[in-house]
Amino acid sequence: MSRLGFEQFPDYQVPGMKHPDFSPYESNGGSIVAIAGDDFAVIAADTRLSSGYNIHSRTQSKLFKLSPQTVLGSAGCWADTLSLTGSIKVRMQSYEHTHLRTMTTEAVAQMLSIAMYNRRFFPYYVSNILAGIDNEGKGVVYSYDPIGHCEKATYRAGGTAGTLLQPVLDNQIGHKNMNLEDADKIKLTKERAVSVASDTFISAAERDIYTGDSVLINIITKDGIEVRTLTLRQD
Amino acid sequence: MQPDFDFTDTPVSTGTTIMAVEFDGGVVIGADSRTSSGAYVANRVTDKLTRITDKVYCCRSGSAADTQAIADIVAYSLNYHENQTNKDALVFEAASEFRNYCYSYRESLLAGIIVAGWDEQRGGQVYSIPLGGMLTRESCTIGGSGSSFIYGFVREHYRPNMALEDCVTFVKKAVQHAIYHDGSSGGVVRIGIITKDGIERRIFYNTESGASAVSSTPSFISSE
Amino acid sequence: MDLDNARELPRAGFNFDNCKRNATLLNRGFKPPITTKTGTTIVGIIYKDGVILGADTRATEGPIVSDKNCAKIHYLAKNIYCCGAGTAADTEMTTDLISSQLELHRLQTDREVRVVAANTMLKQMLFRYQGHISAALVLGGVDKTGPHIYSIHPHGSSDKLPYATMGSGSLAAMTVFESRWKPDLSEEEGKKLVRDADPTGVFNDLGSGSNIDLCVIRKGSVEYLRNYELANKKGKRQLDYRFKTGTSTVLHTNIKDLLVTERVQAVPMEIS
Repeated sequence: MSRLGFEQFPDYQVPGMKHPDFSPYESNGGSIVAIAGDDFAVIAADTRLSSGYNIHSRTQSKLFKLSPQTVLGSAGCWADTLSLTGSIKVRMQSYEHTHLRTMTTEAVAQMLSIAMYNRRFFPYYVSNILAGIDNEGKGVVYSYDPIGHCEKATYRAGGTAGTLLQPVLDNQIGHKNMNLEDADKIKLTKERAVSVASDTFISAAERDIYTGDSVLINIITKDGIEVRTLTLRQD
Repeated sequence: MQPDFDFTDTPVSTGTTIMAVEFDGGVVIGADSRTSSGAYVANRVTDKLTRITDKVYCCRSGSAADTQAIADIVAYSLNYHENQTNKDALVFEAASEFRNYCYSYRESLLAGIIVAGWDEQRGGQVYSIPLGGMLTRESCTIGGSGSSFIYGFVREHYRPNMALEDCVTFVKKAVQHAIYHDGSSGGVVRIGIITKDGIERRIFYNTESGASAVSSTPSFISSE
Repeated sequence: MDLDNARELPRAGFNFDNCKRNATLLNRGFKPPITTKTGTTIVGIIYKDGVILGADTRATEGPIVSDKNCAKIHYLAKNIYCCGAGTAADTEMTTDLISSQLELHRLQTDREVRVVAANTMLKQMLFRYQGHISAALVLGGVDKTGPHIYSIHPHGSSDKLPYATMGSGSLAAMTVFESRWKPDLSEEEGKKLVRDADPTGVFNDLGSGSNIDLCVIRKGSVEYLRNYELANKKGKRQLDYRFKTGTSTVLHTNIKDLLVTERVQAVPMEIS
């Protein structure tokens, strides 16, 4: 044992010793909402890119069209989003060249999960939500945690205002916490899904400082992807 | 993660250049006008030449809050003293009072102060009170972060008992050099000439001629 | 012996041991309660006949907006107002406390209080607390010596300026003042300048937002323009979210009678 007795201290408490700060992550904000219907899927994301109290961009789309029936919404650390979506696109193209067909939404969903888990101990700091049309033509939504846990859902909110948005979707789309007869439950049409998604963003922009500027909405059907925009508050 | 208010939470300090020189009839004091808070310039027209009595001034460097607080206390105390004795306070009395505060609270204060002025007994005097609270009389002294850049200049060009205008030019040039080299000094050069008649103020702008580049710039000669 | 006693004397000023303890806890990963901050844009200028103060109206708790329309221009005296940025509780309590001290001072001296007095009281209080009171203030007012603007930092330093900004949006707002402020602006020009400077912070700084409050102080009169500008309108929702009666399940009912009857009896006063 050394006379100085350094051994008695746990590694992090040695006096005079300092670990250099290394912070590879940054939160760039943004929120995503996705809703799946019988024959469509709606996915929406705001277009504000920020860090700390600064706005980097008011017009940055967080939606990535991966195929004619699959769209990925990705928010969190923007550098990781770019890196992840870049490699996903490469893999999808490689798949297309190898198998001579486009990856199905389910296949993309599974691949995304694996790509994220590959970085188990240095994760992509992103909140991903995948929306699309499945093999049978039905709408599907997949949501992820940063290390690749994948969950199939019919509706999902993520990003900085995810915790604000999700309960609203639970109530309005999932009809949770309501004493309703089946007949009273409003049918989920494409227009209703778009309206609920828009309205939740309007409310989220009121309370979450990282959500605002505008919303991009992608409506995925078998006929293709329709894009709509909605202006939010700018402050 | 909560974003912090970076510069609003960092203490404001006068990363400064200050200077005082005795000449044959009084003292010339000089300072830059920058107050910074981290990388942000919180005030670009600061007056670091602070009045203690009519004929005693101090040059403040270090924490703005600390130096303003001590200067206010000493000014109050000397004003009381002048009223009680019906006499002008001595420069040494002011300096000694500054020393007392700077020394007793040396653990918690960040203040480097130069006290300068004129009194009947000893004429123009300059006292320096650096960080630990020591008090020394000097004929010429410099202080603040910018001072390290001008030790050579001051050593080369200082002459005892200069004529007034020579002394003003000397102080002006020294502070200008410090402003040029030191990132936390900047703005204008403020100069005060203290003689038996009180103080005369001068401002040298950061232009070729030393005059203001803006015709309508008002002279906000005051602080706190 | 005497020396030992002298050493035991308590140090002058406040005791900040708990603050040191809190910092240590923080270093070891303790999560402190989130306080309401007014990550703010507050501004003030001198114009021809007085001063104009401006503030946004957003209060935040971390990333969440806790108040969409709070008032950050505080009353100090009839002729003096003060904008506050930093921890909401600190700015409110500090200005309230100084406000009452100024009123007592006015009653004692029977004169209109001066802006310097407010400045001195505020900075002396903040200095005593050594920066632990997170209040960054823009103080403005008009007294017999003219219009004055002071900016006061949490550690107790203050600057007397013709125009000042504070808070997280202060850099954004200052850019406008640095390019457009000039001496002797008219009231209309002054209001327009403050009205342009404040939204610069509101739009470009995430800590600031919602509406703009203005306060014009002239010699002998004050105009507090609450929500002078609604810089941000809430979006119009497409659906109606009213619920049908009976949406919430009634588990059980219990109705209590609130009619209270009491008999009052006169008691004769005791006279000694």
